[in-house]
Amino acid sequence: MPSSRLVRLALVGLLLAVVGWIGWSAWSGGTTQDSGDAADARTSGGRLKATYQTEPTNFLRLVAPTAANQMVSLLTQSTLVRLNAAGELEPRLASTWTSSEDGLTWTMTLRPGAKFSDGSPVTTADVAFSVRAALADKAGSAAAGDLRVGGQPVTVQALDDARFTLTFPSPHGAGIAILESLPILPRHKLEAALDAGNLAAVWVPSVAPSDVVGAGPFMLKDYVPGQRLVFDRNPHFYGRDDAGVALPYLDGIDMTIVPEYNTELLRLQAGETDVITDRLLADDLAVMRQSEAAGRVQLTDAGPTLDVWTLWFNLKPGVTSAEGRPWLVAPEFRRAISHAINRQTIVDTVYLGQAIPAYGPVTPGHGAWYVPTLPITEFDQGRARTLLTSIGLTDRDGDGVLDDESGKPVRFSIITRSGQPDREKTITVVQEQLRQVGIAVDLVPLAAPEIPSRYAAGEFDAIYFGARQTSREPGAGFWRSSGPFHFWNPGQLTPATPWEERIDMLFQQQAATMNPAERHRIFAEAQQILAEQLPALWLVAPRVIVPVSRRVRGATPIVLFPPVLWNAERLSLVDGGR
Amino acid sequence: MQRLAWAIVGLMTCGALAAPGISPHAPHEQFSDRSYAPPTRVHLRHGDTWHAPFVYRQVLVDRVNRQFADDTSHRVPLRWFRGGTLVSVNAEDGPLLWLGADGLGRDVWSRLWHGARLSLGVAFAGAIGALLVGTLLGAMAGAARGLTDTGITAVADFVVVLPAVYLVLVLRSAMPLVLDTPVIFLVLTLLFALAGWPHVARGVRAIVATERQRDYAEAARAAGAGRLRLLGHLVPASYGFLRTELVLLVPALLVAESTISFLGLGFPEPVPSWGLMLRAASSVSAMQTAPWMLSPAVFLFVGVLALQQLAGGAGVDTATPRR
Amino acid sequence: MTGSLLSFLARRTMAALVLVVVVSTSAYVIARLAPGDETTADFVAGVDAETIAIKRERLGLDDPLPVQVGRWFAGLIRLDLGESSYFQRPVSALVVERGINTAQLAATALVLATLIGVPIGVFTGAYPRHIVSRMVVPLSLALVACPPLVAALGLMLFAVSTGALSIAPGAVVLPAIALGLPVAAILERLQSQATADAMLAPDLVAAAARGIPPSRLVWRHAARQSLRPVLGVYGIVVGSLFSGSLAVELVTSWPGLGRLLYDAVLASDVTLVAGCAVAGAVCLAVGNLLTDVLRVMVDPRAAESN
Repeated sequence: MPSSRLVRLALVGLLLAVVGWIGWSAWSGGTTQDSGDAADARTSGGRLKATYQTEPTNFLRLVAPTAANQMVSLLTQSTLVRLNAAGELEPRLASTWTSSEDGLTWTMTLRPGAKFSDGSPVTTADVAFSVRAALADKAGSAAAGDLRVGGQPVTVQALDDARFTLTFPSPHGAGIAILESLPILPRHKLEAALDAGNLAAVWVPSVAPSDVVGAGPFMLKDYVPGQRLVFDRNPHFYGRDDAGVALPYLDGIDMTIVPEYNTELLRLQAGETDVITDRLLADDLAVMRQSEAAGRVQLTDAGPTLDVWTLWFNLKPGVTSAEGRPWLVAPEFRRAISHAINRQTIVDTVYLGQAIPAYGPVTPGHGAWYVPTLPITEFDQGRARTLLTSIGLTDRDGDGVLDDESGKPVRFSIITRSGQPDREKTITVVQEQLRQVGIAVDLVPLAAPEIPSRYAAGEFDAIYFGARQTSREPGAGFWRSSGPFHFWNPGQLTPATPWEERIDMLFQQQAATMNPAERHRIFAEAQQILAEQLPALWLVAPRVIVPVSRRVRGATPIVLFPPVLWNAERLSLVDGGR
Repeated sequence: MQRLAWAIVGLMTCGALAAPGISPHAPHEQFSDRSYAPPTRVHLRHGDTWHAPFVYRQVLVDRVNRQFADDTSHRVPLRWFRGGTLVSVNAEDGPLLWLGADGLGRDVWSRLWHGARLSLGVAFAGAIGALLVGTLLGAMAGAARGLTDTGITAVADFVVVLPAVYLVLVLRSAMPLVLDTPVIFLVLTLLFALAGWPHVARGVRAIVATERQRDYAEAARAAGAGRLRLLGHLVPASYGFLRTELVLLVPALLVAESTISFLGLGFPEPVPSWGLMLRAASSVSAMQTAPWMLSPAVFLFVGVLALQQLAGGAGVDTATPRR
Repeated sequence: MTGSLLSFLARRTMAALVLVVVVSTSAYVIARLAPGDETTADFVAGVDAETIAIKRERLGLDDPLPVQVGRWFAGLIRLDLGESSYFQRPVSALVVERGINTAQLAATALVLATLIGVPIGVFTGAYPRHIVSRMVVPLSLALVACPPLVAALGLMLFAVSTGALSIAPGAVVLPAIALGLPVAAILERLQSQATADAMLAPDLVAAAARGIPPSRLVWRHAARQSLRPVLGVYGIVVGSLFSGSLAVELVTSWPGLGRLLYDAVLASDVTLVAGCAVAGAVCLAVGNLLTDVLRVMVDPRAAESN
């Protein structure tokens, strides 16, 4: 090891350089300086400050339907129609529409003068292109599923530059509401890529922001990976309010990437942000109420959520985990568990009262689909014990745990996802409540990447899990026995039980019926069957409570995602943000 | 100072071992209407009169804002040595919450002492394991030099840089779904020892390499001392370093326990664990409105202080000239 | 002189390269063996089987493990770390970008930690009964015992309630303190112990008896001797700082390597995980190099065989 003066000099020089760099960067606030400081004081709109937890991976939501991409798409793109907070269709890029007698053909007219953010007009060619892009094989099937009815795609025919027809292959009850998830994309920017088969490579995060063209209320101004997204108002946006004032009211949105929910709350408390990614956890309501009382935030209760986490059992026929434990797949077992769970305790303890008990996957948040008169399993420990005894489970050795006929204790495991404090607490309460009727439960919290493989391999007893609902409509993925979200027995080629077959048929029926009241009635019957058969258990539906800062006007939080930015064009700031 | 430290360590160990005896309630018991309840206060005066120490029953005033009030209408005397525990109250007069309750209305004091056994135990066991392996390998590297040194240093570097997260995920996926507490204890100890030894080895290697050049070491080698005998001479020089490393490792491993439980390899509910308690307390609302949930951190700090006092030695002040 | 310097650098670089290759390849293998891969998120989102199959084909996920490892390794040789399936960008671009961010933060934190921790450690080790030592040691232990998430959140809470520190997205001071203070505490503890040991060394006691002033004893002789064990772990400290600290980066939303690895794990993005391992190995190698150079500067008499 040479001990030369050269080394010493080099090191001193390096040290000086490092210190200099650090000093410069600390003084100048780092290389990640917030560029939103120089807000234009001339206009009255002001800029909204928002935080978001994850990063966009593609500015074309079609190819990668993550939540962040969906959020960007909502701001920069526009759909033909949209469901408003009350669940009614309102015109967006399509200004008027009529339907044929049989409801199979809809004639729609584009809003006159609608333009993309680069000034080019929105025409029916763009509509046709968007439908083609959504249905293309490699574009990802999530969007394509919306545009297929009975396996057949809808077809779009342009009549002229502004009018087109949309034809369904068979009657579809949802009607043109399926267009709610179809952004109208600029053909002139994307058609070449679609034809070449690499649509996913066009609007990657490194693309120049000016290339991300859309007809939405905002346009992308800047994206610094890992740090922030900057949106400016789209001057060509077609929206106007009732007084004829051009929307959006805001000059722009400065969105900082903040991966930690607690930090978002701190920023909200400090006034550094106006809008956070999502809803509040019940535990944080006390602190946020204090901020509300101090006049810094406003809290809105948007009602019960649409996402009810499901506790389901592995009911796939022939599964090995039930060998030696036949009671695990007995319907009486599940019913007994449902009776043994005191859902009100979960509401009070875990959610501090800010939730409602749930006995099925449909909540009042689903609007007219909700049926309040379905049979429910009341909290009744006596009834639970009776049911368990009826399948031969009693405490034969007096240790407080039930045993089956061969003397083995009644014990099973529930997998859950770690990192979601309220869900983990819910299932811990369930564990304690089941212990009181003599059922021993092992909780297995696993990190997110570990669960799908155990699930796919069928190596589990029960899982407590949930998926984010993206619409109020009943989802085929869950209700149909062939669907991927048909948790207890997913992807069946043919239904395993008669009642699943009946539900399949009912679901098909309601999807094809045009009359809304009739659809609700049919679907109510499907819900009735589910409540009687109880293949899975539903426990609670937390209320969705959304905070925004006091600066914001016009926010109408909803239970869908994103709760506040879904109508960003109507948001404004007090005093224009000054 | 020394005696105080011994007293603290002694108290904490006894408390952990005798957890059921000093806890009024079981650690898994969820009390309704007590989510985030504040600690029960002991009073001596009721109105104008003095009494033996007593408490008031807590009443829930506002659930979502987590407001509780004391029912001052009647006194609840403390019962001593009843029901197998040191201090308790009648069941209908509400739970006795020395350190308040957590999000599920469970007694934090009870969970603290019951959890100490497992969490502190596994952190200590892992630390000792890391010290043993690290000292052995570090001393070998420092004394032998040459290829042994390069090899061991390379392996140490390898262990440090490898993403431990994935190792844990692979391990977890290979293990059965439901794990017993003793198995988890063993696995965690092994993982901690594996994660901690490079740090220790690096320090020991540096010390041993220096010691090796000292006159007495040269003399011993010249006299034909075997390799192990030589190590025996050199290693004691690193005892001070090892004592400090112990103090540094225990809290770090406790934090690692909570990370590993996130990955699915922790002690499962309802087994109380300091790592899980700390994770639940690491939120804005807990720190602002329910600070008693951070008591494992406070106890850890006190314990580490005591440990440092015992392990660090009195520290002879040789800077002052002696006569 | 220059010749041995060059050969030293060459040997160090070779060792570093070997470390990088071995670590990253092992990380790739382990990550492949772990449950989940790049199509797991699609599976959970309900994407149909054919689309997933097409993606698996494109990424070569159904090839036998040695084939996949070989393919990745061939890329590594060409300095092509592949593409992140989650971020849809080349891994090397991501790693370099985040690495620069982390380097900025880590350098600041390192200087803070070293300048605070080491001198204070010398002091508390040499004068343990001094009033300053009695106050500093519990503080240092508090920082050591505090979980990093709690410390980072606590610091943020403090910043918000007093307004003393900026929590704006680009400010480096808060994250540097959150990252640097615990490391300063660790360095202080180690340095303190090593200094206390050095003060007991026979030659120092003899020097004291000879009448050499105590302050010179402490700051010239004991400090030099005692830096060795600290330097021993310094390389690892530097390496782990530059690989990014997850808790601090998450809480202060600093876009560094720690968060990158975390995102990669949650998305089961194996290529990115291996890329982060490459970055970590490079950081550790740099840390080792820095430490070796420091060791020579501090103690020229050290005759290291390496």
